[in-house]
Amino acid sequence: MASEQQSKSDKSKWYRLDNAALMYSAIQRNTYSAVFRFSAVMTGKVNPDVLQRAIALTIPRFPTFRVKMKRGVFWYYFEPNDAPGPFLKADISNFCQPMRAKEDHDWLIRFFYYENRISIECFHALADGAGALTLFRTLLAVYLRELGYRIPAECGVCDMSASASAAEQEDAYQRYAGSVAAHGGIPRKAYSAGGTPEPFYTLNVTMGLIPLDALAAKAKEQKVSVTEYLAAALIYVLLERQRREGFQKKLPVALAIPINLRGWFPSDTLRNFILTVSPSVDPNLGDYTFEEIVTQVHHYMRLNVNRKLLQARLTGNVRFQRNRLLQIIPCVLKNPILGFCYWFAGVYPVSATYTNPGAFTVPTEMQPHIQRMEVILGQPYGNRVNCASISYGNVMELTIAGNIRERDIERELFRFLVRQGLKVKMISNREE
Amino acid sequence: MSYCVNCGVELDETAGVCPLCETQVYHPRYPVNHTASKPFPTNRAEVSMASRREVALLITVMFVSVALCCGLLNLFLRTQRIWSLYIIGAVLTLWVWSVPPLLKNIPLWFRLFLDVIAVGTYVFLIAVDLDGINWFMGLALPILSLLMAVMLFLGISMGGGRSILSGMTLVIGTIGVFLFGVELFIDFWITGAYHPTWSIAVLATSAALVVPLIVVRRVPNLREEARRRFHL
Ligand SMILES: [Zn+2]
Repeated sequence: MASEQQSKSDKSKWYRLDNAALMYSAIQRNTYSAVFRFSAVMTGKVNPDVLQRAIALTIPRFPTFRVKMKRGVFWYYFEPNDAPGPFLKADISNFCQPMRAKEDHDWLIRFFYYENRISIECFHALADGAGALTLFRTLLAVYLRELGYRIPAECGVCDMSASASAAEQEDAYQRYAGSVAAHGGIPRKAYSAGGTPEPFYTLNVTMGLIPLDALAAKAKEQKVSVTEYLAAALIYVLLERQRREGFQKKLPVALAIPINLRGWFPSDTLRNFILTVSPSVDPNLGDYTFEEIVTQVHHYMRLNVNRKLLQARLTGNVRFQRNRLLQIIPCVLKNPILGFCYWFAGVYPVSATYTNPGAFTVPTEMQPHIQRMEVILGQPYGNRVNCASISYGNVMELTIAGNIRERDIERELFRFLVRQGLKVKMISNREE
Repeated sequence: MSYCVNCGVELDETAGVCPLCETQVYHPRYPVNHTASKPFPTNRAEVSMASRREVALLITVMFVSVALCCGLLNLFLRTQRIWSLYIIGAVLTLWVWSVPPLLKNIPLWFRLFLDVIAVGTYVFLIAVDLDGINWFMGLALPILSLLMAVMLFLGISMGGGRSILSGMTLVIGTIGVFLFGVELFIDFWITGAYHPTWSIAVLATSAALVVPLIVVRRVPNLREEARRRFHL
């Protein structure tokens, strides 16, 4: 009865898309969606009935995920989704499929189980990694509670007895948009790590499991963070790949690395609040050693990730969104324009995306039940690969996922890490 | 546990090959475990090409409504002639060109075959309306047959991932031959004899273009150079 009332009162509620969601909704089509996936590999086999119950209990607590996307005249918007579900499904091998309108009751999140693994797939317009992980962490806690364990609501597990606060639903971009806007220069074409396209719809995923202490020690040797170390390794591998291809003209290798802005601008939002920075190395200046790349990435991050610059860039993005001329263009016509902007600023000058949401923390009571965490950045925009990593306990999980047949990028990356003296265990969804 | 002898990475106990380099796993003391479950599910979810079917349906509906409107209009407007057949024929031709490729993965040669048949049928209908069976049989049919032969040749020989160089060579050569044939048929239809003029120039031009291409294709060094300079 209470939930019925709630769904009725929700009817009038709707959400404007935040700044990042605008882009993801504009490039959304039946054959492409920006989707990412988080998985928790539990210590025991997943009980689907209990997990379904946990999902049904958890989702109403998170109104920003309980939505469907609707097209207005000028912009898309989110509307509460009162359809039954989302329903837990047995997992499949081609992850992160596009989110299609009118399929799956318009849900923009999906849940899967396979053996010990619980997975959540989320449309990027709903939330960024940090937001989705908060939902996921809470879901895991509710699942374990349903199994009879006592899990406290701390360490990032949301209090299920409280309802969603306004702070969790805010558009933090709007809140922190200041008065000074930064305009990025003209994007420079970057090396595109492409290959033979796989048939629609295939996502080749290769994961490497690395002991975190050894990896952190390696990064510390170079006096950089683990993210910077792995980003440098990826750049190194892509530079080598370009050299192997042997063309005279060499393009810079640039990564897009999303930065979680919550660390710089306090916010409890569960929606998007990220900006990407783009460290790059130009091979035309000569051959870089790995150490030089590490230094370059490290200093780039130190120089570009600071409150002032991030706020100016964020303001620039929000101003673009508030531009009257852009606003009055009908949604249908706006999509190609925004799509081009996305490509021109986010794909053309980028070789690959690398995201590291960092360490996944849970209350002590949950720790014995979770073996490791996994992350997959779904279908890339174009034929290329994406890279993502997440750590839990002493396991750093590093994923290369893409829709190209070649496997040389993951091969060279993991071989490189092995050569550095790290122990890597591989798992993959590629058919043998 | 097994390690890949090539990459040095630890492998899953269920892995038969290394996921990085596809080297077979062989470890006498730890044979591959075929009974344990794989790290990821192996069943693929089929993704329907819903969008394509919708587009096909939309195009079909649009064409049908155009054909219907014209057919109805013809009942009231200039009823002495069945002018609507021209539009209906054109719409049918466009439908054959656009819709079947959206629905199924029809082989290219068969699609080209269908396309030429559609054009042929349209021209035939026009000929019937204009009492032009003579020119249809004498001129249009030979040219269309040649076009079909040329298309089939191109469709078959271009399949199977040819290089850009060979592709260009084939297309230019075929165009030259086709235009030569066109003049031949026209001459025979008008005068009953063959007096080659402009098509010789076309043929010579295409030969002049094709010969260097073949040379470049045959000589490996030149070919490498061309590939480097003209790569897309
Ligand atoms: Zn290997």
